[in-house]
Amino acid sequence: MTTEQYAIPGLKNVLYIDLTSRSYYIKDRRDLYEKYLGGVGVATNLMLEEYIEGTGPLDPEMPIILSTGPLSGVYPTCTKTVALFRSPHNGELGESYAGGRLAMSMRYSGYETIVIKGASQYPVYVAIHDDKVIFRDASSIWHLSSAIDVGKVLRDVEPGAGRRSIIRIGPAGEKGITYASVNVDTYRHFGRLGLGTVFGAKKLKALLIVGNQEIKSPDHNAYRKTYSKLYDTIVKTGLTEKYHNLGTSENILVLNELKGLPTRNLQGTSFEGAETISGELFAEKYLIRRVSCAGCPIGCVHVAMLRRPFSKAHEYETLNISYDYELIYALGSNLGVADPEAVLELIDACEKAGVDIISMGGVLAWATEMQQRGKISTVETMGLQFSWGDKAAYLRAIDLVVQGPNDFYAALGKGVGYASKKYGGEEFAVQLGGLEIPGYHTGLGNMLGLTVGFRHSHLDNAGYAADQAAFNRPLSDEKIVEAIIEEEDRRSVLNCMVACLFARNVYTYPNIIEALKSLGIEKTEEELKELGRDIFRKKYELKKKFGFKFEELTMPKRFFETTSTTGKLEEDRVKRAIELYRKKRGV
Amino acid sequence: MLYKKKTHTSLKEELEWEIMAKRLKVANPARCIGCYSCMMACARTWYDTISLKNSRINIQTRGGIETPYAAIVCHACIDPPCMRACPLGALTKRKGGGVNLNKEICDGCGNCIEACIVGAIHLDAEKKAVICKHCGVCTKFCPHDVLEMIEVEDSGEIKVTDTSPVEDTSPVSSTASHKELYGRKEPEEEK
Repeated sequence: MTTEQYAIPGLKNVLYIDLTSRSYYIKDRRDLYEKYLGGVGVATNLMLEEYIEGTGPLDPEMPIILSTGPLSGVYPTCTKTVALFRSPHNGELGESYAGGRLAMSMRYSGYETIVIKGASQYPVYVAIHDDKVIFRDASSIWHLSSAIDVGKVLRDVEPGAGRRSIIRIGPAGEKGITYASVNVDTYRHFGRLGLGTVFGAKKLKALLIVGNQEIKSPDHNAYRKTYSKLYDTIVKTGLTEKYHNLGTSENILVLNELKGLPTRNLQGTSFEGAETISGELFAEKYLIRRVSCAGCPIGCVHVAMLRRPFSKAHEYETLNISYDYELIYALGSNLGVADPEAVLELIDACEKAGVDIISMGGVLAWATEMQQRGKISTVETMGLQFSWGDKAAYLRAIDLVVQGPNDFYAALGKGVGYASKKYGGEEFAVQLGGLEIPGYHTGLGNMLGLTVGFRHSHLDNAGYAADQAAFNRPLSDEKIVEAIIEEEDRRSVLNCMVACLFARNVYTYPNIIEALKSLGIEKTEEELKELGRDIFRKKYELKKKFGFKFEELTMPKRFFETTSTTGKLEEDRVKRAIELYRKKRGV
Repeated sequence: MLYKKKTHTSLKEELEWEIMAKRLKVANPARCIGCYSCMMACARTWYDTISLKNSRINIQTRGGIETPYAAIVCHACIDPPCMRACPLGALTKRKGGGVNLNKEICDGCGNCIEACIVGAIHLDAEKKAVICKHCGVCTKFCPHDVLEMIEVEDSGEIKVTDTSPVEDTSPVSSTASHKELYGRKEPEEEK
């Protein structure tokens, strides 16, 4: 660790941080990296090692595992870090990915994987400056009203300005909202499943990492050649064009047209206000800048500028807000909000609070329908009258959910699954596996993918892509199941690297093999595929330990009432597909 | 702009470009997306490492990603203060501005670092000065035309080379340039 340079092949270190005793140690875990490469492969195995049967998501013994891979900081678009934890939101496998500068900072610090255990008695933040790990009292920044501002304070107090990574939580994480997020370098997040809540329970306000070490490839010429090839593929071909251009929000009009855009708590799948919250409109009127994760030439982070008057005397405040498809769906179409500025303001409120925006959008949409159906009144909502498109009510509601001043808002802070068990309305509590759904209602592939996916995310297996294929040409349900299985395994391999999935078509098996080879890591396509299958088995082992049972999955009626891209779904058909999946997978 | 961008219209022009004095210029700093591809290219080319540390150019923020990126790059001074500050004569004038470093002579005293108020010099692990050679490899890995190589006089003075008629080169639509770059031309007269 003291040497300036270290040579690939292979990653080496795992940094263990114990917040209870405020101490740390480093283990040489080449054994794990050799077998599982890095990222989700290594993290899954570490979780199996660390997990003590019966430990709850917020118990001190429950670890947080952050892991990068062999290509992190080495090849373009390998910019993600995986976080593994037990989700306080659904009690299941917590798995989340974030970009920003985190992966590069971890890789260049020499701590390719970090395991955080224990809980501090008072708020702390941890600063990693290359090999040094420092614990500092964070009481003075606990209770800050904005997760963004935490970064501003730490930037001044810690050395190493310029390219470090600062990940932190906001008030939602401190208050125990089960879907609190971790903000990564302002514009990226560990969004889903409540990593921010786990940070909060450990009294860990922030983690700052400065990495300045060099890495050597054993075959520098091969590395150079492969780098140029991958860079050119990313920058000079059309493979990642969508992300270079409008970004993910390009999908608003596309899915609206295809009737796959969840609208008003999934009462519909097309939104009459789609034009005004489209990626095209945001780009034209509000986009001021695009930025990248460290090591990615795409620059898909779209930053909008919102100029907002705050008095009649021409006084303005200016907010810079990053937007993406899922955020516009969650706080736009799904809440009936057609005003783009309202969408930006709602995003901003969630960013400051530090909550997962998809879940918050789902919660507010469910609450609106509950009130409209007379199942709750202004007594529960503390005077708020929710109605589709009403920005002011939703802005207030976000604050109320985070503060949880009564039982109703406290229940909303635990998601629609929990709240609907208490207040009714389960048939339109739009969740699968206890997680509010991402912005797709495209058909069987999507629904199956979200249900069986490791973490009930569209990113587990891109079920919507199978639907897209089925939309264009007839595809049997069995083929859809097979497509999902294949995609799941491929993504497990990509998540070991840890490549951004936006570049999934750049990192084909042959390209991954070439990239690894230039670092002295020999793998065949069959070995990689087996790695993907192995990770599947291990993750399901973990899921089981965490209490996941297929038998307990519920599928709210709403999914079968609302037309999807590929027509109306029948519950039996989905159930049959799940059985088929289980049979093929042996789970 | 008073200078022409690099073009490859003929072999003759290309050869002329090759022998002309050139320097690196941060032409469009506000277009930077912070991908660090340029820094990695520099370290990869001149230090044979995978690193940001020994890059001769430095892209960084000064207040998080909310703030614009700063590109700290050797200004190719016509009369370089770093050269004057070097007590050993390790730095000599470079054709086109800036300096050439003789690594053998450099003893890592750091006087050049202090003399460069731009902050474009630092020391490597072996305590040798890391100074931009204006080779231009970084420009080949800049996806947003932030960095460019420009033609200058041997002295380093800016050369006025572009006297062609003034024309508006901004894209017809805000997405046109990308469509072109990524292999798909926008249909003409759309919208």
